[in-house]
Amino acid sequence: MKLSHEARTVLETSMRINQVDTAAREDIESLIRMLPDDRVLLYKNVLSNPIGDLPRYSIHIRLQHMLTFVSFLLLAFTGLPIAFYDHFWAEPMNAIVGGVSVSRVIHRTLAAVMIFAMIYHLITVIAGPIHQIIRKKFELRRTIIPLLKDLRDYKDDILYFSGIRNQRPEMDKFMYKQKVHYFAAVFGNLVMVLSGSAFLFPAFWATVLPTSIANYFQGMMRITHPHEALLALLVIAFWHWYNVHLAPGRFPMQWTFLTGKITREHQMEEHFLEYLRNLVEIPEERSMLREMLIKSGLDRTSSVETGSAVLPSGKAVPP
Amino acid sequence: MCLLASVNLSALVDDPRMAEGGAFHFTKEFEDEEGCLLCHKYPKLARIIETGARRSYYIIPEVFGDTVHRNVECGDCHDYIKQLPHREVTTGVTCDKECHTVENPATGKPFSHKPIVDQYSKSVHFREKVVTGNAQDKPYCITCHKNPVYNPKEPLPPRRILDRCKICHEDQKFVAAWYKHTSRRIKEVRRETEEIITLCTNCHGDQRLVERHLKAAAEEGRELGPKYSYAVESYEQSFHGKITRYGFQPSANCLDCHAEAENYFLNVHNIRPSRDPAAPTSKERRTETCRRCHTDADDNYANLDVHPSSLPEEAPFLYYAEHIYTWIAYIVIVVFVHGALYETIGRRRDGVGWQIRHGSSWWRKSARGRARDFNR
Repeated sequence: MKLSHEARTVLETSMRINQVDTAAREDIESLIRMLPDDRVLLYKNVLSNPIGDLPRYSIHIRLQHMLTFVSFLLLAFTGLPIAFYDHFWAEPMNAIVGGVSVSRVIHRTLAAVMIFAMIYHLITVIAGPIHQIIRKKFELRRTIIPLLKDLRDYKDDILYFSGIRNQRPEMDKFMYKQKVHYFAAVFGNLVMVLSGSAFLFPAFWATVLPTSIANYFQGMMRITHPHEALLALLVIAFWHWYNVHLAPGRFPMQWTFLTGKITREHQMEEHFLEYLRNLVEIPEERSMLREMLIKSGLDRTSSVETGSAVLPSGKAVPP
Repeated sequence: MCLLASVNLSALVDDPRMAEGGAFHFTKEFEDEEGCLLCHKYPKLARIIETGARRSYYIIPEVFGDTVHRNVECGDCHDYIKQLPHREVTTGVTCDKECHTVENPATGKPFSHKPIVDQYSKSVHFREKVVTGNAQDKPYCITCHKNPVYNPKEPLPPRRILDRCKICHEDQKFVAAWYKHTSRRIKEVRRETEEIITLCTNCHGDQRLVERHLKAAAEEGRELGPKYSYAVESYEQSFHGKITRYGFQPSANCLDCHAEAENYFLNVHNIRPSRDPAAPTSKERRTETCRRCHTDADDNYANLDVHPSSLPEEAPFLYYAEHIYTWIAYIVIVVFVHGALYETIGRRRDGVGWQIRHGSSWWRKSARGRARDFNR
């Protein structure tokens, strides 16, 4: 496979910061030469372990996710019947947790858990990059920070889904959807904490804010807290759960949130640039992939058949 | 002769619990010295009044004999009745009368509800007993107080207590009567939060009543409270209302803010409008009222809207904010469902299956060529 300029940059950067020796570099380069030009053929023909093959999330991120999603769902369960009190489901839903005198204690305790997860996450996302910078391993494009490339990826993905392009874009560790979702969650969490604090400490906010604003603030927070919660629930139900568990190839669930690992075919399809880094960082993955390529006859260097159905522009070859 | 006939109603009560109690009559014999039951004992004694409502004049002796007014003779309150059969009643009973048969044991004077009525006469709810027009919507004493039954949750006095009393107080009727009298006063007879809200909602939640008064006030150029038109609705939307709805008693109900904190039983009768500086909800006293529960409340806090609403005329900013939030929610559903379908169809055409099977999820035939080669 002739790597795109972008992929080549990522690979070179990864080899540099991992201080890859000449033998390993030659190993990687030969493996890249073996890859079929059409990445679709690559991920369609490799073997994956449903539990996950390649590292993706550290134990910290998994714990934070676990704390956040358990607390969020229970917060929604205890909060929604109070906010939407006039709906038919409100009363039984509230009764299940033991009435409002119990649910208010649960709600506040879980709010503390969620805030703890946020602080824990903040420490992770600050300390992690600092650690990487010190070890000279930090790469901005490997983080969740949105870049212009994400807009391009979004456009290219839309074109792939509609059949105009026959390749998905080469995306990084975090693709455009994940970046949007992450910042939506950050924003949502902050809004929920702020508006929740307006309910829990109304006297504090009234003292801190000027008279003309205090009443509007409280009114706005009264509306915002349930609506933001509902919005988060809808985004999670209709988008997050689709993306991670319900989409074809992920159904009935991905194990990543538990094992921290992603399947090989998924990494190649949606996070190809990260897969290149995996090849640099995990020698076993190189030997495993080489074996798979030879076994499946996809080795580009050994035969004429390359499965090359793609032009360098990413446009499909006309039949 | 008939007028003097005494109806001993205890004979009518054939309750096996009384036999169990040991020939003990818990209900005071209803001595109808005045002979009112001659007519009022008939269940069908009723008429249709001018407004079309049915009015029953039937007295159930065994029920009345268990109420707090059982010792008061009919004529004490219905003092306009001078002869039997009596003439049409035009004024009815007012509650500031003095009883002739019951005296206040503390002062020795005839008992009366006058102190409460005096307090009530200072409130925004005050009306005379017989009124016309919109004043009829205001509550008179009997709107809220329906001659309550003694300890309704306790049909019989507990025997283990009465047995002790009976040792010295040989008159068993006296024992039963005093048990009920004292136990009712010792027990918490304050209405529960839900009952208070229901009571206030009966009138303030009646949209036709509210509109009637808004219209009259506008015509007369009178001022009504700023929350008058949606007091109940906005309370329900407030935190106080939402958690009270689920039975959380410590949360504020109507009387917790609108009545004076001191001596609840007296002051709930003197509700004043917030425009009255003496009212606990007035601008002058609001902070003090909030501090009853929210001890760190300041003036800014007291200005927060306790009857919040998102009505366009009341809070247009919140009204539009709420609409925008709702639309965002709809857009999120539509956009994400379509996005998910679009992605699903796009990838399915390229041969992706739902589940990973034998190490790959690309086991379907692809409509775009490049299918997985299973022979490899």
